[in-house]
Amino acid sequence: MSEWKQVGPDAQKRYTYQELPIGDASIGMPSERRKTGLWRYLRPRFVRRFSPCSEACPAGNDVEGFLAFAQQGRYGEALDTLLGESPLPGVCGRVCFHPCESACNRGAFDEAVSIQGLERFVADGEPTSLPVPGPSRKEKVAIIGSGPAGLTCAYHLRRLGYEVTVFEKQAVLGGMLRLGIPTYRLPRSVLDREIDRILSLGVKVETGCRVGHDIPWEHLLTWDAVFLAAGAHAALSLGIPGDSAQEVISGTAWLEAVNLGRPVSVGSRVGIIGGGNTAVDCARAALRLGSNPVIVYRRTRNEMPAMEAEIEEALQEGIEIQWLTSPIAVRRRNGKLVGLECIRNRLCKPEPGGRARPEPIDGTEFVMEIDTVISAVGETVEEAYLPPGLKGEQEGAVWVDSWGRTSLPGLWAGGDVATDPRMVVHAIGAGKRAALSIHASFTGEDLVELGRRLRTGAKGAFSIDRYLNDDLPGVELVNEVVGPDHLNLHYAEPLERAALPRLDADQRVRDFSEVNLGCDEQRARAEAQRCFRCGECRGCGNCYVFCPDGSVLFDPSAHEFRIDYEYCKGCGVCGNECPTGAIVMTAEGEV
Amino acid sequence: MINNPRDALFKEDYFHPGHPLCPGCPGGMALRWIMKVLGRDSIANVGATCLCLPTHVYPHSLEIPSLYIAMAPSPAGISGMSAAIRILKRKGVIPAEKRITVFAISGDGSTADIGMAALSGAAERNDDGLYFCFDNEAYMNTGIQRSSTTPQFSWTFSTTKGKVQRKKDLPKIMAAHDIPYVATLSVAYPEDFVRKVEKARDMGPGFKYFQIHGPCPTGWRFPEHKTVEVARLAVETGFWSLYEVVHGSFNITYRPRKRLPVVDYVKLQGRFQGLTAQDIRTLQNWVDEKEEGPGS
Ligand SMILES: Cc1cc2nc3c(=O)[nH]c(=O)nc-3n(C[C@H](O)[C@H](O)[C@H](O)COP(=O)(O)OP(=O)(O)OC[C@H]3O[C@@H](n4cnc5c(N)ncnc54)[C@H](O)[C@@H]3O)c2cc1C
Ligand SMILES: Cc1ncc(C[n+]2csc(CCOP(=O)(O)OP(=O)(O)O)c2C)c(N)n1
Ligand code: SF4
Ligand code: SF4
Repeated sequence: MSEWKQVGPDAQKRYTYQELPIGDASIGMPSERRKTGLWRYLRPRFVRRFSPCSEACPAGNDVEGFLAFAQQGRYGEALDTLLGESPLPGVCGRVCFHPCESACNRGAFDEAVSIQGLERFVADGEPTSLPVPGPSRKEKVAIIGSGPAGLTCAYHLRRLGYEVTVFEKQAVLGGMLRLGIPTYRLPRSVLDREIDRILSLGVKVETGCRVGHDIPWEHLLTWDAVFLAAGAHAALSLGIPGDSAQEVISGTAWLEAVNLGRPVSVGSRVGIIGGGNTAVDCARAALRLGSNPVIVYRRTRNEMPAMEAEIEEALQEGIEIQWLTSPIAVRRRNGKLVGLECIRNRLCKPEPGGRARPEPIDGTEFVMEIDTVISAVGETVEEAYLPPGLKGEQEGAVWVDSWGRTSLPGLWAGGDVATDPRMVVHAIGAGKRAALSIHASFTGEDLVELGRRLRTGAKGAFSIDRYLNDDLPGVELVNEVVGPDHLNLHYAEPLERAALPRLDADQRVRDFSEVNLGCDEQRARAEAQRCFRCGECRGCGNCYVFCPDGSVLFDPSAHEFRIDYEYCKGCGVCGNECPTGAIVMTAEGEV
Repeated sequence: MINNPRDALFKEDYFHPGHPLCPGCPGGMALRWIMKVLGRDSIANVGATCLCLPTHVYPHSLEIPSLYIAMAPSPAGISGMSAAIRILKRKGVIPAEKRITVFAISGDGSTADIGMAALSGAAERNDDGLYFCFDNEAYMNTGIQRSSTTPQFSWTFSTTKGKVQRKKDLPKIMAAHDIPYVATLSVAYPEDFVRKVEKARDMGPGFKYFQIHGPCPTGWRFPEHKTVEVARLAVETGFWSLYEVVHGSFNITYRPRKRLPVVDYVKLQGRFQGLTAQDIRTLQNWVDEKEEGPGS
């Protein structure tokens, strides 16, 4: 056989496969290689960045994280992920105003992911493991109020190991979730299940105990820390002649009676004044009790503080709304309420930072024939029950700093009682914030440093799960939020957002059964696929496929990609083709 | 968490890192993918072009046997090698059932200009092998000079005011040779790329021609992280189309969801910097005619 010329000075093998240098006896590779990594001035790095949905969730839910599990049909782990941050996903999955969806990057492509619908679907299943109480600590914490703020604080404090007692003036737990929000929006079985889960961590409760009345404030000041989460339950008065009449009812008090199953009377034509959730819920509840409600609101639909979906559902149910209308007096005949005198408004230019101001138009006065008035123009804090010397803000709300601390040492506050926006999800966030803040006050940990480490973006959300389980993801976590410009949307397929089914309007007004029906597994799975998984590697393999230098290595045992910096030239193709923004390019030497 | 559907691409590499191609070079992507499909039992002929550097300059990165061949005769390399294999099989030196794939890869200058005669000859004789024209639309290895496949208006060092002529439509010329398979490829569409090379690999003997549209960051004057993006926009605007001609039957393999205006493609590249609105209209008309006109 002929001698084959060696290829390169170090070609180890001669060609032994008969005569052709192929197959098992290939020509081999030189033992040295050019270290092209030395050419690089930009370094690609695999990172995990935050998704805008997670940043926007005031409760600090790891939205992208639970959707990642849901995409794979791993709903139990998806629920574990949710429960890591909030004990009330079934509640939020129904009544939250879902700021996550407004922030969703998919909105810039077709339509936002139906995050709330998926949260509900996942929360209605079972978790794979339940949260556990932390190793027990000696300090005791008192919580006043069992609304979402108080319950959330109790839940996380138990996970941190504290002894917790919740004082609640009512006989039942849940605050506005039970007293305010009607069952057609939040079935009590859902609420009970989540409250039971919280209590099973070993939370003590004292119901029927109104702090400042049944027990004095001084009693609580002997506790190591107190979290005030008493909500805002005092109705604001209408401030018009005749509004103290017996037939002028407070909206929250009336809903409380309806929700607790007390006998209520409502006339045949009820006028509801206000434009918030309370007003709309009063109208929808009155309709279900056989009355014919009309909502009177001084601005237009656009300015109504109630959630858009609720307004839409109310209109579907045939509820009349008189926009740009203000009541001016309650009319009575023979001692009986017979009408509401109203005037039409026009909207003036909004003051800077404010809402458009309604201005009455002279000569447009008219009388609306009604027999009951429900006043739902807002609630305020019951100041009489607050400890003396507490710094307040407008409308009686308690002043708190960014970690929920009040002006009194040892006293934290959050939710409706404080300066937080009056929403369930903000109350949940406030409860979590107080739990960590109270904990840090005992451990001496620096809150600024903790905040930096645990925050999710820049809107105030943070993760307590990252504190409790510091098994951080293998890749580096970078506190940056991924926007649409960081994504490569070429890899996105247009997919239609799942429509969430509702009961038919004529069927739903017959009783208080749940209006929104939720979706089935198939629809949930399809909807979860719409999530881009912003900021996290979703394993598409583009980096591996496109690298012209074969310098992205795939490790099948660890199921992850790695960059071989010996050879990577830093071209950045991988970063450009990453659909989710999980590869960043940094100047060499900066890291 | 990685759950990968792209099996064809998650295969062993026979084209290794440490090669001297420019950062972001589409040739690196193409050669990696070709080798993933053709595997170890193949022999390469690489013309004296950019791609001869990673394959033949020590320390080389290609693990399989490879012939460093002059620019003009790279198609003839296929003719010679496939003949040799046939003879060795007949003599019983190589087992008759063993599949050995012969391929050649060379630049657009070598293919469409200098090697055109050898290419046409090998195709007409239907010699057995795969030919890849790595179309980076100019003579790049000698420092960016025009070729017959450089598009109209493009700057190169030999067309400093923009090229006057249009791009030569080489795949159509090759299809006119009645060979079993002709296909266009793009580095932005790896699945399409791999599927077509697999198809050619598994066909009976004959000449299979591929033309890879390969945006060259160095020669086209765009940032090196945009290679795939530029390649993708070429296809999404219709500047480059993905099709195959199987035994004479023409078949579009990828259709953009909505064809983008040509300017989206042109504006990313320094070589088209001097274009006037009229020039862009001319290019748009060329694309529209190509995509919608008779014979498209
Ligand atoms: C009708 C209605 C509908 C709503 N709908 C929505 C909605 O769809 N989505 C949304 O996000 N938000 C909604 N909200 C707002 C939301 O319910 C509140 O923002 C949220 O419940 C506030 O939580 P919290 O824990 O701060 O207070 P609360 O839920 O008000 O809980 C406070 C608790 O403290 C107890 N308490 C008060 N004083 C004392 C005391 N002195 N001693 C002991 N216990 C005391 C109260 O009995 C109550 O249980 C709605 C509110 C109402 C009234
Ligand atoms: C017959 C011949 N003429 C000239 C050269 C010099 N030369 C080496 S590489 C090259 C450019 C090749 O251009 P192309 O074929 O388009 O491939 P690219 O380098 O762009 O990949 C030239 C002209 C040569 N090697 N052989
Ligand atoms: S696509 Fe997914 S990760 Fe991205 S913002 Fe929307 S829900 Fe969050
Ligand atoms: S594509 Fe490859 S060479 Fe380019 S930056 Fe990424 S790892 Fe490095």
